[in-house]
Amino acid sequence: MNVIWAIIRKDFQMEFRTKESITAMWIFSLLIFVIFNFTFEISRLLLLQISGGLLWVAFIFSGMLGLNRSFQVERENGNLRGLSLTPADPGLIYFGKFLSTTFFMLIFEALIFPLFIIFYDIQLSLVTLWIIPISILGTLGFTSLGTILSAVAIHTKQQQILLSLLLWPLITPIIIWAVKTTGDVLAGELSAAFQPVMVRMLVFDVIFTTISYLLFEYVVQE
Amino acid sequence: MTKPYKSQSFYVLAGLLLVLIPVTLYMIFQWVPPIKASNPTEATAQRIFYYHVASAWIGFFAFFIVFLASVIYLWKKERRWENMAVASAEIGTLFMTIVLITGPIWAKPTWGIWWTWDARLTSSLVLWLIYVAYLFLRRYLPDGTRRANLSAVVGIIGFIDVPLVWFSIRWWETQHPNAVVAGGDGSLAPEMLKTLLFCVGIFTILYLLFMQRRLEIARLEDSINRHYKEWETLS
Repeated sequence: MNVIWAIIRKDFQMEFRTKESITAMWIFSLLIFVIFNFTFEISRLLLLQISGGLLWVAFIFSGMLGLNRSFQVERENGNLRGLSLTPADPGLIYFGKFLSTTFFMLIFEALIFPLFIIFYDIQLSLVTLWIIPISILGTLGFTSLGTILSAVAIHTKQQQILLSLLLWPLITPIIIWAVKTTGDVLAGELSAAFQPVMVRMLVFDVIFTTISYLLFEYVVQE
Repeated sequence: MTKPYKSQSFYVLAGLLLVLIPVTLYMIFQWVPPIKASNPTEATAQRIFYYHVASAWIGFFAFFIVFLASVIYLWKKERRWENMAVASAEIGTLFMTIVLITGPIWAKPTWGIWWTWDARLTSSLVLWLIYVAYLFLRRYLPDGTRRANLSAVVGIIGFIDVPLVWFSIRWWETQHPNAVVAGGDGSLAPEMLKTLLFCVGIFTILYLLFMQRRLEIARLEDSINRHYKEWETLS
């Protein structure tokens, strides 16, 4: 537990001294909204159908920035070797990185969501609150695989492109489910499929967190 | 002494295929009666079905072997399991490529479109992308234990993801013709079923032949590297 906590605290200290990642992710999402507005001239009716997708495109593209950075800082000063030399269980190191990346993404998502509401004139209601569990489940799915795969990709020179190649096809299910449920929430009406899909997202998160926890040892091994 | 470059099993498998592949062509184009279709092109195009489905089957089977070999590699740490996982990933990707090419060739005359974002098509594409990424990862890393470990990890995660991808996309949308063999809606004539099963059998032999060749290449590479290292230390 101390290992996990130490890594999270280290990452947070680094981030709050510079505020590099979250600011960059936020601006990048803003840019996605702007570009989206120019590339597709969207009518109000169409917007309601695609807004869930738009939000997740912003979340995930910006999340890639965060993921790429997450292990880059570890590599820059040989931290990765230092981490793998500590007598801690590699699985706990995984949990530390996984949770700190997840927290960063959730903070960033909370910062970008109000902007999204303003830009696309989303009608708020009590149902909108469901966006919180959806974001958490969706983000956990994205970061559970993202953390282990960025630890894999960090060992190559083409780290950034490789991470996208590896991660994108694997997170297809979570993207599909998150977009669909977000669409429901933004439309203000939950469909019958809403609850089972939430459960599926949870199952996805549990499966890949467990597997990554078990396999992380082989990723950091020298 | 090292093993001979072409072992006996190669000649056996290659000989079998030399005889049996023409037989599959005969069965597909002559023996199976044409399906009832609105136009002759559609009926002819349908005959691609046998190679298409057989390739898909081998693709899935190959990816299963990647998973199995990766697990065993992480457990035993023996080079041959790494070689087997890579060999199977390459061959599986090849067969999935065939699936993705033969599919649209059939779809155009039948559905009127080359591609549609339906469950089976999309999952096949995503599956193909997963293993292409696996091969890219290997290309980007130098040979060694690290590459073996990392690719085994990706090989395991990738395969576990396959059913999830499949269920999520099927839930998302579907309009592909049903799995007629298992579903049993009776539209598959007995000749068609026999031909399909025969093709799957032949493609399995083809897979084994490719595997055997690819593993022998890997063995050669390893022995060249070993000799090279010996020479380097001597000089």
